[in-house]
Amino acid sequence: MFPELNSILDSTPDSYKSSDFILVSDRRADASFLIHHHLSFYLRAGCKVCFLGLVQSFSHYSAVGQRLGVSLAQAREKGQLVFLEGLKDSIGAILQEDTSQETQPLSYLRSPGPRLEGLFRFVERSVRQSGDGDANESWGPPVLLIDDLSVLLSFGVSVGAILDFTLYCQATMCSELQGNMVILVRCEEEDADDEEGLNLLQRGLVHQCNLALHVEGLPTGYCRDIHGQMEVWWRQRGETMYNQRKIFHFKVHDKGASFFARGTSSAVL
Amino acid sequence: MCCRERKLEDSYSFKVTSFQVINALNPSKPFYSGECVHYMCRCFQILGEDVHVLGFESPETQVCAGLDSSCVQKLHFHEGFPDPLGWKCTSSFTVDQFTSQHITQLIKDTQYAKASVLVVDSLSLVLRHHDPVVICQRLQELRKGGVIKTVIGLLHSDLHQQGVVGIVGHLASTVISVAPANNERHGVAKTTRRTKSGKVMQEEEYFSVSEDATLSVQAKLRQPGHVQKEQDVSEADPTSNLTFNLRLSEEERKAKEKVALPFVFSQEKKSALLRPTPGTGRIMYEPDANDDFDEEDPDDDLDV
Repeated sequence: MFPELNSILDSTPDSYKSSDFILVSDRRADASFLIHHHLSFYLRAGCKVCFLGLVQSFSHYSAVGQRLGVSLAQAREKGQLVFLEGLKDSIGAILQEDTSQETQPLSYLRSPGPRLEGLFRFVERSVRQSGDGDANESWGPPVLLIDDLSVLLSFGVSVGAILDFTLYCQATMCSELQGNMVILVRCEEEDADDEEGLNLLQRGLVHQCNLALHVEGLPTGYCRDIHGQMEVWWRQRGETMYNQRKIFHFKVHDKGASFFARGTSSAVL
Repeated sequence: MCCRERKLEDSYSFKVTSFQVINALNPSKPFYSGECVHYMCRCFQILGEDVHVLGFESPETQVCAGLDSSCVQKLHFHEGFPDPLGWKCTSSFTVDQFTSQHITQLIKDTQYAKASVLVVDSLSLVLRHHDPVVICQRLQELRKGGVIKTVIGLLHSDLHQQGVVGIVGHLASTVISVAPANNERHGVAKTTRRTKSGKVMQEEEYFSVSEDATLSVQAKLRQPGHVQKEQDVSEADPTSNLTFNLRLSEEERKAKEKVALPFVFSQEKKSALLRPTPGTGRIMYEPDANDDFDEEDPDDDLDV
């Protein structure tokens, strides 16, 4: 986890805001480092984590997690982490003979009018079950992490179906169980006829979320010392009744990332 | 800049069998749409109206936050929220039940039949699952049904095609579009109101909603950047705190203004050129002994 990001978001593994829906999005940049941050953050906070890894394998997250100081394999064994390996399980889901799979998590790959009800039920089961009969281990509030949601559009799932899925997840995770959700989506360049696209999905999710982190490259071009800018947008929180927006620059290192206010990069000062 | 608490009577003035749509604009900064719904509920309750809320996108706690108990009694929340599509079979009202018959029945069942206010949170979810034309028909049926006096719908206009937003807006007698202003503390609301006589009135105002759902409205001013002025820092005087003097006294300023600039073609110079002046620029030629000035051959180059 990144200490500077914790101070920007005003949260630590010991005290963080619950019932939060955090949306991570990027445009022509890679915001997956924020997913790694949140994964290590919530594992350290002792939460029960359900991770839908749709674009990378478990070993990839495990390797990055090692560098950030958390062991995913151990967390999975203890029952703290439930990991859906989208890549590995997809082949099995497609080649399955049995077609009565409405409730299977990857049923959207097969069913003609893909709904994500199966995936939602998987998420619900994962976060509701207690740690495998081990009465000593009681985890904190549940957390759902998804990397990344926009890949479902490539499978033919409509934007409306994905927004329904996230609405249900939010209702269960945030409202009912007082847990958190972190979802990564990718955007693309603004398109004139963009009715069923990534940007529509991102707009729909921004309406639902509490906190949006948007990562982009620098508007002025490539820089060796600054990898991009991150825009943080808070829906009104606490006493403030207005929404807040701040922009930071960041640089990703081998074992973390550093964040700083615009114009204060070490290359400049 | 004038700031006035919007009178509840003002907002209630467009009530009779009306249908209002609150559009939330600006895709990257969704804004205040929930608070507008919240404020509307409070308005109608304070006026003693029965408000029915079809909540598909927000929980009851969020909509009712900040309202006092007397208001809450007249607020009937039909929970679609945790299960708006019926996946878990736990909700009392799903999106599929958004028909005029169902809604009318729902209202009649709740209390003795009295024309009430219906708030839909949100129409975007309903339009995602049903054909827009069908939904418009149903809204029209509700409006004419008699059980409902006013329908207020929340629409996220950046999630639909322009045509869909257009037809729903056309059906409404009032459309309020909210968007964030330059200053993040306020929003801009553009209200288009159509009266029964056919007259269309448009207004644009800055507003902000406080925690207890009070709306403060400021009339919109001519220059769009005005709201930002309060953030400008007063400029420092550069001629102060120097070791040399950069200022001018009165005489010095007057003398400076009197100086004629060299390359400016002023009126004096123009008239000076036009006036014939004696004794300037004449050529004086006095031929000496070697000069043989021949009238017929002044250049002395003819072979004569």
